[in-house]
Amino acid sequence: MPNTATLQREAAVNVYRSVEQGLKETGAETCGLMFIHCAGHAQPEQQVRTHLEQTSESAFQVWKDGATQAIAVLLPGLSLDEVHYKGLRIKHELQETVPGADPQITLASFAEGERPSKATIQHMAESSKLVDSSEIHIYTLDNTADEPERILIVDNDPTVREFLQLRLKMQGYETYEAVDGLAALDLIEKVTPDLVLTELNLYGIDGLPFIHHIQKLEMEQPPKIVVLTEQRVEQTISQCFRSGVDDYMTKPFSPVELDARIRRCLH
Amino acid sequence: MVAIYYVVFVNTLYFSILALSFRNIWTIFRRSHYSKYNTLSGSELVPSVSLLVPAYNEELTIIENVNCLMTLNYPTYEVIVVNDGSSDATLKILLDEYRLKPVPNTKIRGKIACQKIRGIYHNPEFPDLYVIDKENGGKADSLNAGINLSHYPLISSIDADSLLEKDALIRMARMYMENPEETVAIGGDVRIANGCKIENGAVQDVSLPRKIWPMFQSIEYLKAFLGGRIGWSHMNGLIIVSGAFGMFRKDAVIAVGGYRDGYPGEDMNIIIKLHRYMLENKLKYRVAFCPEAVCWTQAPDSYRILSSQRKRWGRGNLKNMLENRGMLFNPKYKVMGMVTMPYNVIFEALNPYFRITGLLALAGYVLLDMTQWPILLLFGLLNFVSGYLLSVGALVLEEIAFKRYNKLSDLVKMLVYSALKFVGYHQLGVLWRLQGHVQFLQNNNSWGTMTRQSWSEDEKKTSEAA
Repeated sequence: MPNTATLQREAAVNVYRSVEQGLKETGAETCGLMFIHCAGHAQPEQQVRTHLEQTSESAFQVWKDGATQAIAVLLPGLSLDEVHYKGLRIKHELQETVPGADPQITLASFAEGERPSKATIQHMAESSKLVDSSEIHIYTLDNTADEPERILIVDNDPTVREFLQLRLKMQGYETYEAVDGLAALDLIEKVTPDLVLTELNLYGIDGLPFIHHIQKLEMEQPPKIVVLTEQRVEQTISQCFRSGVDDYMTKPFSPVELDARIRRCLH
Repeated sequence: MVAIYYVVFVNTLYFSILALSFRNIWTIFRRSHYSKYNTLSGSELVPSVSLLVPAYNEELTIIENVNCLMTLNYPTYEVIVVNDGSSDATLKILLDEYRLKPVPNTKIRGKIACQKIRGIYHNPEFPDLYVIDKENGGKADSLNAGINLSHYPLISSIDADSLLEKDALIRMARMYMENPEETVAIGGDVRIANGCKIENGAVQDVSLPRKIWPMFQSIEYLKAFLGGRIGWSHMNGLIIVSGAFGMFRKDAVIAVGGYRDGYPGEDMNIIIKLHRYMLENKLKYRVAFCPEAVCWTQAPDSYRILSSQRKRWGRGNLKNMLENRGMLFNPKYKVMGMVTMPYNVIFEALNPYFRITGLLALAGYVLLDMTQWPILLLFGLLNFVSGYLLSVGALVLEEIAFKRYNKLSDLVKMLVYSALKFVGYHQLGVLWRLQGHVQFLQNNNSWGTMTRQSWSEDEKKTSEAA
């Protein structure tokens, strides 16, 4: 029935507006916000409310979001770790009291100066529905800016790939990996990464021709190229820069330095 | 009785060589397992190498081969492909694949004489690849042309039908760097690639050949390289560095006048010349063998090609021995003159004659009733057991240090074929060598038939068989 749908959407918009309003009105320095979503269940709004009434010393507000079926909880005065703790308690409580519930929780804490817009709140509500792990998801403002940058890691050493992937994911990048140059060239055309982080010593195709190949691909926005390699011969380094790589780092490398250089290439 | 002494003597020698190999295998094991080459393979301090790839009618394998050589784990090196006046499309395929352009005003330093060079090709996109096109002059001549163009102090000869493992060259260079003053040549371990899965110019999956001829050769190579050469190199008596994969100091090769032309067996010839030159000038030197540097090669898989290859080897061996007969039992040439050369003459070159006369003598004894069948049987059995032990010894070496063949079925297969080798294959080997000597006397010094298969075709075939 179209009518109900419209109603729900309106109600949802109102929920976000009320959340935004609630955030603005609290005079507290920080303000916690939490979205709880139980997939495939009637949302246990009542349980959450009761639990909070029993445990919270301070004020709180609870809404039910009709569009995403999530429960919004506003917790003024709570910093991020306090909200996180609360989230853990609620999750535990729900798992105890509601049989078969698998609560997915997205939470954040906003300082006074950086209260989120309505769109951000909506995005946060939607992301609570999309979270696919049982961990509590901490929503960061960075994510709201725009899509995460995509980085393709090319290295034939699985250990190096795993390390880089973990590290770059933690920095909020979207990562892809390829074992050798030929596989990488295929992937580049498919996922159009913003940056290619590559070793020079590859199977199938050598580093320099590989870089030439990337540059010849017809793409709207050719990826930046950062070389991370064992190769320390000066001549090779200068050849790389001449053929237009954006940065060159040798292994063993400092992860902090790598982060900084990648950030500089992308922004 | 001569035959018995011969057999006893040859087996003692074989076993002492094998024992030397065993003595060294622990060092080799530690070297190949605990060394990390990552840091070395990017270091400015590793000497640069020119890879020389003589190519004569190699249109099927050349691209795969060059792709493999261009992705080695090595800091500075160049690949020089020498097209030896091929009658097929080898040159055109190379030029098309890498979009090579002729280099104007080429400077060839002409240190060693070689056939006329028609042109040199290069593409700045592949800065480390050069192709030389020259008039046909044989493998040795191509290597000489390559030496003339090469820019680096070390050279390495690689067959166009062979694939190097990614670490092969850096492992060899590491061995060279241990003693750069004295090392003049280093040989690599050659293995048979038939049956292995090859992708992107690298061996992805190791398994034994499915055909019978390459299978026998696999075992033969294992025995020769691991059981034999490790031991020989220990006493600096290595007489050959395989033409398929070896590394040389360029100044030493130039000092002995480069590769000898017009005859097969140039790989053995260059080593003998190096020994000779160094000993005559009383220089300290070493010809080393690096078993952990592995090169995979395509073995002939039909009787016709295999026999032609072996006849050629027999011919080359005899020629080299005759040319250098002055070194034989000459104390001036130390291990080379006193052990290696006599061993080669008596047990390699003259082997067929000993075997045939021994057999005839035995048959004579029996016919004249001077001996009994049991003794003959015992003799044969002894021969078999000692030979089998040698092969098994090489297998044990392989399993201690390298473990390239991981499947149990492969191991069993190798043990079975090591035994089967003595029924037929061994005898054929003797026959081929004899035929090679006949060819030598007939003054036939052609290279003989050698056809190639493309790597991918080979793979297709094996997958069909699977």
